[in-house]
Amino acid sequence: MSDVQDLKKSAWTAIDSRSDWLIDVAKTVLQNPEPGFFEIKTSKYVSRKLEELGISHESGIALTGLKGYLQAATSGPTVAVIGELDSLRVEGHSYSDPETNAAHACGHHCQLGMMLGVAVGLLATGVLEGLAGRVALMALPAEEFIDVEHRYGLHKSGQIEFMAGKQEFIRLGAFDDVDMAMMSHTSLSSEGKFAIGGTSNGHVVKYIKFLGKAAHAGGAPHNGVNALQAAIVALNALNSQRETLRNEDTIRLHGIMTGGGVSVSSVPAEVKYEGRVRGGTTEAINDANEKMDRCLRAGALTVGGQVEIITLPGYMPLINNSTMMDIFSSNASQIVGSEHVRRNPDHLNRGGSTDMGDLSQIIPVIHPYTGAATGAGHGIDYLVDDYIQAVVNPAKAMCATIIELLSSDAQKASKAIADFRPNLSVEGYVAIQRSRLNEEVYNGI
Amino acid sequence: MNVNDIKNLVCAEIDSKADRLIAVAKEILQNPEPGFQEFKTAKTVAREFSSIGIPFEQGIGITGVKGTIMGSDSNGPNVAVMGELDSLKVLGHPHEDSSTSAAHACGHHCQIAMMLGVAMALQAPGVLETLSGRISLMAVPAEEYIDVEYRDNLRREGKIEFLGGKPEFVRHGHLDDVDLAMMTHTSASPESGKISYGGTNNGLVAKSIKFTGKASHAGGAPHMGVNALNAAMIAMSAIHAQRETYRDQDTIRIHPIITRGGVAVSSVPADVRMETYVRGASIEAFLSASEKVDRALRAGALAVGGSVTITTLPGYLPISSSESMLELYVKNAASLVGKESLNKLSHRTGSTDMGDISQLMPVIHPYVEAASGQGHGIDYLVRDYELGVLTGSKAMAMTVVDLMSDGGRKGKSISDGYKPPLTKGEYLALLRGMMREDTYTE
Repeated sequence: MSDVQDLKKSAWTAIDSRSDWLIDVAKTVLQNPEPGFFEIKTSKYVSRKLEELGISHESGIALTGLKGYLQAATSGPTVAVIGELDSLRVEGHSYSDPETNAAHACGHHCQLGMMLGVAVGLLATGVLEGLAGRVALMALPAEEFIDVEHRYGLHKSGQIEFMAGKQEFIRLGAFDDVDMAMMSHTSLSSEGKFAIGGTSNGHVVKYIKFLGKAAHAGGAPHNGVNALQAAIVALNALNSQRETLRNEDTIRLHGIMTGGGVSVSSVPAEVKYEGRVRGGTTEAINDANEKMDRCLRAGALTVGGQVEIITLPGYMPLINNSTMMDIFSSNASQIVGSEHVRRNPDHLNRGGSTDMGDLSQIIPVIHPYTGAATGAGHGIDYLVDDYIQAVVNPAKAMCATIIELLSSDAQKASKAIADFRPNLSVEGYVAIQRSRLNEEVYNGI
Repeated sequence: MNVNDIKNLVCAEIDSKADRLIAVAKEILQNPEPGFQEFKTAKTVAREFSSIGIPFEQGIGITGVKGTIMGSDSNGPNVAVMGELDSLKVLGHPHEDSSTSAAHACGHHCQIAMMLGVAMALQAPGVLETLSGRISLMAVPAEEYIDVEYRDNLRREGKIEFLGGKPEFVRHGHLDDVDLAMMTHTSASPESGKISYGGTNNGLVAKSIKFTGKASHAGGAPHMGVNALNAAMIAMSAIHAQRETYRDQDTIRIHPIITRGGVAVSSVPADVRMETYVRGASIEAFLSASEKVDRALRAGALAVGGSVTITTLPGYLPISSSESMLELYVKNAASLVGKESLNKLSHRTGSTDMGDISQLMPVIHPYVEAASGQGHGIDYLVRDYELGVLTGSKAMAMTVVDLMSDGGRKGKSISDGYKPPLTKGEYLALLRGMMREDTYTE
């Protein structure tokens, strides 16, 4: 058996030698942004790239997802490397699609380069021969929980059940043969080259319709019931409750109005709002969600209208596996120097959410950050400016982590798996998420 | 003597008592008392009645005083001439009582003097002999619908049932045998003339509101509290959000105040009180708006997860003046100030409990434009006491003469020809039906 360090060196050399190819993948995806469950071009493109590497794979999982395997010499656990296919929508981003406003303002394009980079490393001569087990290469749709109305439509028409990629992959059993998983996300260069650890907010997703009654807004406003006023009362009410939210619960209440009336001269009869209730724990999310629902009802009650409140199962808080973090950190340190690798305390919560949190309830995962961008995450100026750190270095760090996990007859992976106490089984997860879907019509008339 | 001779007599009598009447007005101005607390003012009225030998009852609706003057026979109508005893409360008014903030920022002090002027005038030698029926001189408490919490406590203690003086006079039966009523209010639109008349007023319901939350440390544990002040803020926003649904012709007015907003900055407010009126041009309009206000109040409590107790109290009914009485009054007023100085009013969005009386009998409620400044403001001051007391008094006394002379023919005819919108029984039932107290925990 080769020495682990030799295997890593071979893998890194292979990745370095194809760095232009990997960066080109990321930049091509950047130029073709597609929001979640719409990643048709992106999925086909990644599929072609997997083919170029000779990796057979399934496609069309949860509409656009991909999954292939690299088999090691002997049997053992399966480690997944995940890249996210979807973009956000940010109007005015330098790389936004003018028709759809889709834009990679969260750096997912780099993840696909990384995932392929890991494959390139593992395919280096002798590497797979020195490992036990299997590596699943996965491209997943829809990590950004946006387009709620559209996705709820997909849900209603049976094309998806859950409204995010990893949730659907779990439900469809696509993680049933995966024992541990990892992915790396871009972050700002100013935060250092690598950061790992900490948690994320879980959330529920709100799809709200205030229903009123149209009337001539000038001629007979007394005959109307103004759904926009209901929404405004509701959102003011929501803001006044922020003081009741504990700092340590990192609650985030936010949303967008996707329909606010159709003609100025007609009293708005239907106003649509897509919202998010995020928090550090399920209890905190439930509490804040109840507060949101109360405020939504208060808006409808005020004007004597109705509100339809659809609560969709969102994400769960992220738990990073400590064994995997240790291995990742030491490999990342070898690549960029330990002074550039930050270990976050477990309780650190960045406020955002990821469906990697869902997976972390079931199997051991890590979700490190690679600092390679400038601007504001999800903003118009979020741009990756260091593609070596955005694509090549995290690919090398993850590849080396896998090598370390699966070498020596997958000793470290097996121990991490054996030590892991899942919060949920796949069945338990699916049952809980199903139970979180709630549809209510409150009648304020 | 013909009617004009009698009118000349009563006017001359008022002129001869000018100093005394104006002195009474100014005495009351200097001793302002809010509604149902007009003890000093009632004593002034009693003193004046005694001094001119008019028998009276007192303590009606706590502080009300009623004097009676009989005509030569009882064939004519019973005409009520009213004056309002109470002041407002206006912080910073030049004549404010510094301990209570009471201030005559609505000119009621002149009304008492006007009413006494009518009493003195009718007692001039030779006048009463020519009149049939009687005159009820009413000094009525609490026209300004304020201090809702205080008065609601009086109600709960059984001292009053309704929160305004005239509804209490009606309830106690003091309007039962009255056929026609009048009073004159001061106003501050001298640019529109000297005397204004006619028109209509909004009616109202009043609300006393209590938001109940849960106290907790506002810095240390706001998540353990339920903020009643935020409930009130949300409710006020919600009230405002519905303003577009009110029709112009309904002239809805909703104008809350917060009378308690928390007791310590560092404690999440758990008990917040509001008072508001809901006014409108018709009973249907203000009752419909009242339902919308209730929804908004409930929404505030619902949003924070607290509760709200809404006490809705009957307020005043919209007023409409008797055209036949006005016809007489306008002629008399024109003879005093000239036709060009008369101004016919349209709809006014304030309210008066004279509106309640107008639902039961023919009334008039003209204005003498004797003041300047903003009604109910710190600068509302009566500038012209001759107009504010003497002319106002003369115009009413002359109209009383019209109604009661010639055997009270005109007064009886107006009274008989009038179809009151409500009977006393219906009136009391309507008011009692408006009274509600509900606690919502949603």
